[in-house]
Amino acid sequence: MTTESPPTLDVEKLTQNLYAEMERLGKSTDMYARIAANRVNIQIGLTPKEAIWTLNKMTLYRFFPQTPPEQRKPVPLLLVFALINRPDIYDLRPGNSFVEYMVRQGYDVYMLDWGRPGLEDAGYDFEDFSLKFLPRAVRAMQRHTGKREFSMCGWCIGATITAIYAAMRPDDGLRNLILLTAPLDFSDKNAGPFNKWLNTDYFNVDELVRQYGNVPGEIIDYGNKMLKPVENWVLNYLKLWDNLDNKAVVDSWLAMNTWVTDGVRFPGAAYRQWIVEFFRENKLIEGKLQMEGRTVDLKNIKASVLNVIADKDHIVPNCQSTTAMDVFGSKDKLLLEMKGGHIGLMVGSGASKRTWPQIDAWLAKRSQ
Amino acid sequence: MSQNPTEGFDPNDPIGTWRTIRDANLDAWAKGMTALVNTEVFANAIGLQLDTLLAASAPIQKAVQQYMETYLAQINMPSRAEVVTLAARLTNIELRLDDMQAQLDELLDAVRGLALAESPNGAAAPDEPAAPKTRRVRKPAAES
Repeated sequence: MTTESPPTLDVEKLTQNLYAEMERLGKSTDMYARIAANRVNIQIGLTPKEAIWTLNKMTLYRFFPQTPPEQRKPVPLLLVFALINRPDIYDLRPGNSFVEYMVRQGYDVYMLDWGRPGLEDAGYDFEDFSLKFLPRAVRAMQRHTGKREFSMCGWCIGATITAIYAAMRPDDGLRNLILLTAPLDFSDKNAGPFNKWLNTDYFNVDELVRQYGNVPGEIIDYGNKMLKPVENWVLNYLKLWDNLDNKAVVDSWLAMNTWVTDGVRFPGAAYRQWIVEFFRENKLIEGKLQMEGRTVDLKNIKASVLNVIADKDHIVPNCQSTTAMDVFGSKDKLLLEMKGGHIGLMVGSGASKRTWPQIDAWLAKRSQ
Repeated sequence: MSQNPTEGFDPNDPIGTWRTIRDANLDAWAKGMTALVNTEVFANAIGLQLDTLLAASAPIQKAVQQYMETYLAQINMPSRAEVVTLAARLTNIELRLDDMQAQLDELLDAVRGLALAESPNGAAAPDEPAAPKTRRVRKPAAES
C-alpha cells in the first residue's frame, strides 16, 4: 500500500486559485442578482403545437408531427397532467422534452391542459375531471384523429384521474394506459410525511377550502417543498450558485424553477375529496369510491397498463402505486421501476436515456 | 469518519476544501430535516400554523367581503358571487354546446355514410362539404 504525501503549500498556486475564485464570485454575484430580479427569463413548452379544442379553462393541444406519415404510429397518445402545476413539464425544454421525444418517435401526441381554475370552478371534483371533462377531451381527440383507439399517459394526480377514467369507461377506445408515479393506494399511513400532515387531527381541510374556494398553488408548493426543506430551500439555490458559469445548468435550473413556481389553484371540491376520500379513507383502492352512482372499480380497466414508479419519489411513495398492480383488471400490465424522483423520472438526462426509451419501447409494440 | 484530519485537504485550494465541508454539513442537515418533517410533532406544528393563519384571516376576509358586497351593490355592480354564478352557468352552456356539436358530428357522419352507400359508384356526392377535422376552438385564455 502506498502512502501519498499531503500536498505542500505553493503560494503561487494558492494565489491563482484565490484569484480565480474571486473572479468567479464577481461574475456569479452579477448573474445571481439578474436571476433574482427576474431579468433572466426562459421559456418552457416550446414544441410546436395547435389548440384543437377548448372547454371552460381547458385546452386540448396537438403537437405537430415531425416524422413522415409512413413512420407515424397509428394510435394517438394523450398526455394528462395533475390538477396542480402546469402540464408544460411534459415539454420542458428543447432537448429535455418528453413530448419532443415522443413526437420524433412518430407518435401523434395530444396534451390536455386543465387551465387555471377560477372561483366558479371550485365545485368541480374528481368525478367532474375524470368523467365529465376528460371524456369530452378524448372525444375531441378521437374526432380530430378520426380514430377510436388511443393511448393515454397520466402523471401524478393526472394518473389517478386517468385510472378512474379507464375503470369507468373501459369501452371508450383506450388501448394503452401509462401511469407515471400514480397515487392510488393510501393504505400505508406511514408512507411519507403527507399521511401525517393531512391527518384529520392536524389538518382542517374544510376550513381551508371554505376560506380559499380553490386552494392556492403557493400552499400546495409549500407543502411539496416542505417534504425536503433543506434540498428545496437551500441546496437548490446553492446548486445554482455553484454552477452560475455553466449555461446548461443555469438554463435547466431556470426552466425547472419557471415550472415549479407557476402553481395552479387546486379546485376546492377536488382538493377536499383528494384529502378526505383518497388520502384519509383510501376509497379508490378499497373499491368504495362512488362516481356517477357507480363504484369506481379498477378491476374494470381493460387497457394495457404500464405503471412507472421512481425509486426516489418522496411525493408519491412507491407503495401508493405498486399495490394497484394486483387490482388492475388488465391482462397486459407491467410495473416499471426507474431511477429518479417524482419529477426527475421524466425530466433530465437520466429520463432521456432511461425512462423515455422504455416507455417508447413498451408503447410502440402496443401502438401498431 | 476520516482517520487522517488532513485527508482531502489541499492547502492550495482552501475554497474547495471549504465546499467539501459545507456539502457534508448540508447533507447531514438535509437528512435531519427530512426525518424531522416526518414526525407527529411536526405534523401537529404545521397544522397549528395553518389553523392560526386561517383563524386570523377569517374575520378580515368576512369583513372585506361584506364591505365589498355593500359597496358593489351601491354602485350597481355585480358582486363576486353573482359573477361566479354567471361564469358557472356559462360553463354549463359550453358543456351542452360541446355535446350538441358532438351529436351533430355523429349525425353528419351517419348521413355521409348513408349517402356514400346509396351512391351508384360508392363516391360521396360532389356538393357535400367535407367533415370538419377541427372542432370549435377559441383562443386559449392568455397566461397570467
